[in-house]
Amino acid sequence: MSFTIANTIDDVLTALAAGARPIAGGTDLVVGARQGKAPLPADLVALDRVDELRTIGPEPGGGIRIGAGVTHATLVHDATVVGAATSIADASALVGSPATRHVGTLGGNVMNGSPAMDTGAPLMVLDAAAELRSLRGTRRLTMTELWTGPGSTAAEPDELCTALVLPAESDRSGSAYVRLEYRRAMEIAVVGAAAAVTLADDGTIARLAVALAAVAPTIVAVDVSAMIGHRVDDNVLAAVALAASDTATPIDDLRASADYRRHTVGVMARRAVDAAVRRAGGEPIGVPVNRSIGIGVAS
Amino acid sequence: MTSTIDATTGDTPRFVRADGPDKVTGSGRYTADLTLTGMLHAAFRYSDHSHARIVRLDTAPARDMPGVFAVLTQADVPDVHYGPSVADRTLFANDVVRYEGDVVAAVAAVTPELAAEAAAAIVVEYEPLPIVTDVEAALDPDSPLVHAGWADYRSGDVRDRNSASYSSITKGDVDAAMANADEIVRSRYVADASHGAPIEPRAVVAEWEGDHVTIWTSTQVPYDARAGVCETLQLPTNRVRIIVPHLGGGFGGKCGFHFEAHVAALARVAKRPVRLKFSRAEEFLVPDRRREGMVIELESGVMRDGTIVARRGRAILDNGAYTADAGFFPQVAAMHIAGPYAIDHVAVEAHIVYTNKQPSGSIRAPTAPQACWAAESHTDEIADRLGIDPVELRRINAVDEGRVGPSGQTYGEIGLRRCIDIAPGLVGYGDELPDDEAIGVAIGWWPSFSVPSGAIVKLDDDGYGQIVTGAQECGTGAVMTLRQLAADELGIEPERLRMVYQDTSVAPFDLGATGSQTLFNNGRAVVAAAAQVAEQLRQLAADRLEAAPDDIVLAEGAAHVAGTPDRSIAIDELARIASGGELLIGHGSGTPPAAPELSGSSCIGDNGMAAWVAPQFSCHAVRIRLDRDTGVVRVLHVGAAHDSGTIINQIGALGQVEGGVMMGIGQALTEGTRYDDEGRQRNAGLLEYKLQTCADAPPITTEFVQIATAGAGPRGAKGLAEAPNVATAAAVANAIAHLVGRPVRHLPMTAERVWTAMHRTAEQEAAS
Repeated sequence: MSFTIANTIDDVLTALAAGARPIAGGTDLVVGARQGKAPLPADLVALDRVDELRTIGPEPGGGIRIGAGVTHATLVHDATVVGAATSIADASALVGSPATRHVGTLGGNVMNGSPAMDTGAPLMVLDAAAELRSLRGTRRLTMTELWTGPGSTAAEPDELCTALVLPAESDRSGSAYVRLEYRRAMEIAVVGAAAAVTLADDGTIARLAVALAAVAPTIVAVDVSAMIGHRVDDNVLAAVALAASDTATPIDDLRASADYRRHTVGVMARRAVDAAVRRAGGEPIGVPVNRSIGIGVAS
Repeated sequence: MTSTIDATTGDTPRFVRADGPDKVTGSGRYTADLTLTGMLHAAFRYSDHSHARIVRLDTAPARDMPGVFAVLTQADVPDVHYGPSVADRTLFANDVVRYEGDVVAAVAAVTPELAAEAAAAIVVEYEPLPIVTDVEAALDPDSPLVHAGWADYRSGDVRDRNSASYSSITKGDVDAAMANADEIVRSRYVADASHGAPIEPRAVVAEWEGDHVTIWTSTQVPYDARAGVCETLQLPTNRVRIIVPHLGGGFGGKCGFHFEAHVAALARVAKRPVRLKFSRAEEFLVPDRRREGMVIELESGVMRDGTIVARRGRAILDNGAYTADAGFFPQVAAMHIAGPYAIDHVAVEAHIVYTNKQPSGSIRAPTAPQACWAAESHTDEIADRLGIDPVELRRINAVDEGRVGPSGQTYGEIGLRRCIDIAPGLVGYGDELPDDEAIGVAIGWWPSFSVPSGAIVKLDDDGYGQIVTGAQECGTGAVMTLRQLAADELGIEPERLRMVYQDTSVAPFDLGATGSQTLFNNGRAVVAAAAQVAEQLRQLAADRLEAAPDDIVLAEGAAHVAGTPDRSIAIDELARIASGGELLIGHGSGTPPAAPELSGSSCIGDNGMAAWVAPQFSCHAVRIRLDRDTGVVRVLHVGAAHDSGTIINQIGALGQVEGGVMMGIGQALTEGTRYDDEGRQRNAGLLEYKLQTCADAPPITTEFVQIATAGAGPRGAKGLAEAPNVATAAAVANAIAHLVGRPVRHLPMTAERVWTAMHRTAEQEAAS
């Protein structure tokens, strides 16, 4: 049994190679152990003092590099994220409580692999890549390649997610994440949807991506290629909702029935596209969308 | 005498709760924080089935583990059946297990982990028995019995097979009145079970010294807990001492006697102190305290002018596996499905029915939120049928001075009509609203409980003192209000008085934090005790100031002669003088107010809950917004008008109303226990059992209607802790029904249930 406090990424990789498991905020690992989901690993390496993991900056060659150790609390307010990857800020703002957001990290959310994770759908629509490092080298996986099932990823045990890398965003782009929630704090997505859009000069859709949370074994992308070239109107939004509902393969559980999830994920997708388009057009819609135009709007 | 209370507004100075800084800074000690030298840790072995006969029970594998000091089953404790309503329970499941949280055995070991391991090592073999989960089916004469030996249990309740207690209220001739009514409105509603969900899971620590045991426990009712220990372990009262450290909330969930005897028995065998500390899951699954599920059917005969002439109603309450304190629930439920209305012809009845689920027990205003939700939804259905404004319909039918309630109680001056006049306006009733918003209104009532209580008040040589009381603080505000009352009698600042409480071997009896009764009864006792000290002070001052004792006024820290403020002496000085002679000590109890007379009605299964002393009334109005695409409801504003008599501590009273309203919003929208086919809880955790959070709290505007009521407590105060939890869910329901076009007949009215109701066809609605 060991607990290693790492100061550098190399410290972490050495510990992982020796069989330790990484712990950042511990909001999944520790809570899960207390609930009896899985015992705490015998050997842990703590990531919270590794400064390199906690930076947000430009990616050489364009784009944004978000360290895996950046907390949700930072993502909600970081000017770069809010400006160019707004849907991630939307999602981080909804995670748990202030306490959870203060310690919970983007990398932890991604690598926990829950299909109900909030930041997953935004990362997918933003074409993010996960940077995985080990003593053996560095590789990048798309989000689709990374998530292989509920709670599982393609990462090897000795690999650490060091960053999420986003490509450069075109002008007239916007993104948004909306989720169905039954209360306004300490909540988990019943269903969620993210959208990222780039508008052409004539106002038609040049690029659109939609992804869904909590309606399939992993975060899933919706095929919305048919919308390209169209101007966003009620018909397009209805088609997005239909495509999202058709893509979903939800289950019945305590939080909702499959039928209700299938319906509401369409509603969320429609709202996410609507908000993303409005943001792309320069309309300032506050973070998170859920508190601005979505579910449970402020009184 | 000056007062800390402004008699016209009820405004009081905002002084800090005595337990506030401890709790807010984290320095306060709760039961689970106690550690005694040599202390062991307890773990329970729970039933592996919802209903089964134990055919083999072998504790040897646990006993043989190094570090295990005690392993107990029913064979190791006195053979006593207990239960405040029906003696249907033993400390450990004996022969038969009846719900998933039934305790089969208990272990004390050197670490919590070892105790859990040892409990799991106990071998139990079962023969499964048929599982009863549906309350309506359980009343079928052919239903399997949860308690085969029910007829032999000691009880004063009206019982039959799975019906653990029955009560009815009959007034007038319902059949004839229904026959002559212009319209008959029929409704059926189903409420899921819910939980009090205190933030502190319970803990118990027990330590023996010779043949005396001290038990620290997170209970709302220390004297009740003591009685339970004495009954089940066959000990005289004088050998058991119960102490309650800070209590992390209760909401009724910590009323009653729970696991104090199990831990005391373990500590006796182990010859070491033992601590039991529940996990959050155990707090959900095990105690005999959940808010019971309920099926309610209502039928009203109404006239076109809005008069409700007849009410027939039936409520079936889910008792769970044992009766706990729920024997009186049917009568309270019957009162609530009849409602605070002057209906001439009433026939209502209620059963509480055994099932193989967690036992039900008093959770804040037991039975009322669900029964009021059904009855007040029904009231709006009547208004809708008659085309009468729902607020006006309530004005037409509500009980009022000189009118007779369902149980034959005739009221003096009460504040219900004024509550109905006030609350809707607090949230803009009648204003034009956006088409996704609506306002719902509901009225509620709740009794004050008149019971014995005692207190001691003393002043020390420095003019500071203590209130020694059996009162219990779980959020009641006793830490503030009792000090105000005593301080006013003595003419000193409330901050000069400390509370010495929550210890059964120190203070006189009090019922505890239950039944909204602390101020009502213990307040009376504290005033009586303080009055004795005040009389001593007046006598001392009279001697020094050469005046008659009756002319001495105690105010602002001094005794002075009435009309001559210059002739005064400091109370500090009087206290110093007394410390050299007859000490300043008072004791009090006072006489509990008598129950009102009833006439014109009859009750079967009368538990004394039909004659309400100093009844409290309320009207809640709730403005909501509905997200029509998802069924998600958000409460935007709540207006609450309450007649709870005189408000002695405004800040504490507002806290009670706001907390009760938030609990009601949770019950309305998100809080419901889900069961599998075998009666096991599926959402026994705070992620899936969705309490409301601070972020969900809407503005809550409260007004108190303060009028004199016969039989009220000190200075005209009535209870207030439970009343605010009665009508909120009903008001939310009526707002939802306005937007959906029909009631959502299943509580909680979750987003999915609202959405489903919105898309239900007329045929489906007719069939429901």
